[in-house]
Amino acid sequence: MKPDGTLIVHDLPVKLAIKATAIEIDNDDSDSAMPAELRNWLVRLRLLEAVPFANIVADSELLPEESIRWFYLDRRWTDAIVQGALSVGTVNTDDRIHLAANYDAIRDELDNEERNLRRVEGSNRYRGEGGPISGFLLRSRAVSGWPALHVRAFNVDPAEGDDAKFQEDDPRRMRLLRLERLAPAVLLCLFDGIPTVVHVEEPRQGVQFGFDTALENGQVAATLRPRDRNTFEYLGVPPIDVPFRAGGGAGVVDIQALERELAKHPETGATDTLDSGEYALQLVRFPYRQVFGEVVEDSIAMVFRPTVSYQTLSTLFLEVE
Amino acid sequence: MAVGEGKFQLYSFIDPPLQAGTYRFRTDQLLSADGATGNKGPTDLPVDQLDTFVRIRSPRYQLPPDQVMSTFPPANAEGSFGARLPQIVIKRRTLPWERDLAGQPSTTPWLALVLIAEGEAELKMNQPVGDCVTPGMVLDGIADSELGNYLSVRQSVIDKVFPTKKDVPLLAHAREVDINDTELMMGDDDGFLAVVVSNRLPVPARDADGNEVPVKYLACLVNLEGQFDVLIPEAPPQPPTFSILDIYETSVVDVAGWDHVVSGHTAEAINPINVEVAGGAPLAAQAGASVTKYTALSPSGAQAYQASAHWTLDDAVTVESNVYVEMAQGFTVAAGGYYAQLLDPVYRFPVLLHWSFTSVGDTTFKLLMEQVDSQLFGGLADPNRPTLADRQPAGGRPPIEVVETGHVGLPSRTRRGDEVRVWYRGPFVAHPTEDPPGGRLVLAHASDQLRIVVPDGREDLSLAAAFEIGRLLALSKPAIVGSLLRWRQSGYQAARSNTIWGGLDGLLGEFFGAVDGLTFDSSLAVRFGREFVKRAAGAPGELIGPPRALFDPGRSINVDGDAPQLLANGFGFGAEVLRGSTIQMLDGIRNTEVPVAGALLQGLDQGQINATLRDALDRTLTGLVSGTLAKEFIQHPVAGPTIPLGRRRAQPVADRLDELLDGGHFDERGTRLEDPR
Repeated sequence: MKPDGTLIVHDLPVKLAIKATAIEIDNDDSDSAMPAELRNWLVRLRLLEAVPFANIVADSELLPEESIRWFYLDRRWTDAIVQGALSVGTVNTDDRIHLAANYDAIRDELDNEERNLRRVEGSNRYRGEGGPISGFLLRSRAVSGWPALHVRAFNVDPAEGDDAKFQEDDPRRMRLLRLERLAPAVLLCLFDGIPTVVHVEEPRQGVQFGFDTALENGQVAATLRPRDRNTFEYLGVPPIDVPFRAGGGAGVVDIQALERELAKHPETGATDTLDSGEYALQLVRFPYRQVFGEVVEDSIAMVFRPTVSYQTLSTLFLEVE
Repeated sequence: MAVGEGKFQLYSFIDPPLQAGTYRFRTDQLLSADGATGNKGPTDLPVDQLDTFVRIRSPRYQLPPDQVMSTFPPANAEGSFGARLPQIVIKRRTLPWERDLAGQPSTTPWLALVLIAEGEAELKMNQPVGDCVTPGMVLDGIADSELGNYLSVRQSVIDKVFPTKKDVPLLAHAREVDINDTELMMGDDDGFLAVVVSNRLPVPARDADGNEVPVKYLACLVNLEGQFDVLIPEAPPQPPTFSILDIYETSVVDVAGWDHVVSGHTAEAINPINVEVAGGAPLAAQAGASVTKYTALSPSGAQAYQASAHWTLDDAVTVESNVYVEMAQGFTVAAGGYYAQLLDPVYRFPVLLHWSFTSVGDTTFKLLMEQVDSQLFGGLADPNRPTLADRQPAGGRPPIEVVETGHVGLPSRTRRGDEVRVWYRGPFVAHPTEDPPGGRLVLAHASDQLRIVVPDGREDLSLAAAFEIGRLLALSKPAIVGSLLRWRQSGYQAARSNTIWGGLDGLLGEFFGAVDGLTFDSSLAVRFGREFVKRAAGAPGELIGPPRALFDPGRSINVDGDAPQLLANGFGFGAEVLRGSTIQMLDGIRNTEVPVAGALLQGLDQGQINATLRDALDRTLTGLVSGTLAKEFIQHPVAGPTIPLGRRRAQPVADRLDELLDGGHFDERGTRLEDPR
């Protein structure tokens, strides 16, 4: 019998190449369509870990200083980088045919597994169809000067308003696929989906005390908004100018003068001499929260246009003697 | 009592049950008894008095590191802290009130957190604790350590920087936090903490040109015991702003500047005639009092803090102390001269803990985030937009070529060496990308498969570059390359054999029973062979065939033709011999001469026969030997292979080198021989 070339070279390997069946992945170390260690690395690669920054941002003018840039993640680009990585393992035509037969399963699995990378320890794995990925690059001194920023994304505009408290497991919250400082002043954030509202919040490393400072003609002026000692709410009075000590070193606060200022408002509790608890209560500072949201414009309503607004977070605190 | 989630409670002070010190508990026991001999009182039943001594220990010169919950700003941090008061959180809730200040109520803490800018005071490390207080002062009681640190500071600086007597009680409070609130990271057992807050904002500085200058600050938790009266009772009235240039420098104070102290004048009465303005910086126009007492910042006084990158690998204790020494650098320079010594006395305060940080910039998080340039990726900065960034003019650069799709034009060199411009777009795009018809990107096996020529004629190398980056990243990790190759071996090859053998399920099932547990690897052949032998030995009749019979039945002879004729032909005589009756046949056979082969050799004598046979034997032998010992015989072109005999001269056998030199192989007569190879 004369051997059929097409059959041997093409049809037979294709026939012999079996398609990997979809396997439910139970934990990070179980093999599936591909070995677990390879899958875990490819998932990180898909989220652009270790990818040179020049390949991500081709020109520094695309990310100027003090800027935030919003983007969608190009699936074709990440598919291509995974294909490049997989090509290392193919030596001959047979391998490539096998890879081609398995590639769909590999890609679907990576689509799914990239959402499990930042999963909270002990929570259930995410399954099902993966959606689009979006994110932002923030290049600012706010990133270098305030490490460990909090980033929160919502798929709906929360009805509570921008300064409300949100639980960690709020269903409207979108998950972060990656939140990492690529450089001291560059923050990369990837969302699992397309957010409507994004909050960027000052790090909350413990409660801090301080004032609102402002620069005026080369001088620093500090103000304090007095609070009610019982409800912790701000009083509806103009902010108090913080007095500094006569002839003191730069920035030394004249606490007695401040007390006299506060004593003008009986709700602060300073009228019957301020005590240290009341003083601390007046000074508690909350993290700033920057809200990026969507502005609905009829002409280009489909375009996600971030805008800037500013809110101060307030939380309920009580002062008890 | 636990506080609610996300809340905490503030306490003005927490009084310790016992203050630090040595206590004596005296125990007296009074016994009395009623008995047959009468009642007995305590005097009859004396019990010895028991004195129990108890020492309440409390940090005095050194704060153990495990008592520190957190400090703010973080040690060695650099940032814009100008709007936040430094603070230290101590795990022992009663610590600030565990010692008494003479003449003060117990609500006054003995600790204060003072913030010292560079050059204002001197920090001495690892001194005997006796030297850690101002000379002439003795702190009663037991010291908690042999060595301590102290802050050597002038009265003038105390007046300006240290909290006033009225401030001190306001700067320490206790806090009860919800220990379940991980946000506050409070791991204390009961959630009670003590907090000491500074009275000074770590403001940054600006030099004469208005540029920001980082200022290194040292935060010291000082012990005020016995020296509370050094603090000024109350701050003088003051306008609400301060200049960020007002970094105080002790070293330039001269006698004239302090005349008013000696002569008893108030500060307001002195004209600022002797203020030294180093570096030509104009004095900030302040209300009079704030100018007279201190000099403006000289550029040398606010030198940029150079972060040290030194790293030591000493033992843990040394490293820790080195860290503290390093943080004290810049604060250990003795300042002042003879006059200053006289007029401006120096006090020493024990420092329980110190850390330093650098305050730079006056930008706040709020300001930065409000000013941030928010656009979709691919948008360029608007040069007219005000920004906080220090925009450097792009010198000598052609303007960036970016199109609406996010593609950037980049120079590229083709493989043939042509300099062209290509399009590149990274993974971030401003608009959702559409998958090409037919679904996601088709699998490519080489980056060239992903090169695209767009309608304007240029190449789009985005995906090809991505492919290549992925390939290089995989190749850069030996573990990933190994994993891929192992996967290829175990995955692909096993899949192949599984498929091939899977078609033979019927046969294998019959053979091994169930196929499910089978793995198709290299051991299959061995197991197959063993199984086969086992089966074959168990039932030879089924697998190999029936056993051979003990004897073979005879073969039937086919006779075609006349039997006597065939028989006669076989014996070589005429068929007529075997005809007739039995007697005639026997007689005929008896009279027939048996033909013999000897007739062939008639006419040859024995010698000729022997010679012929010997020749044939010789030829066979020679041929056999020549075929075996190729090098040992002489290939005669005419006579054929001949064994070299004794009467001939032994011919040296040429080796490979000779062959190479000669370019061939020749016999003694110069005839070229066949290449033995």
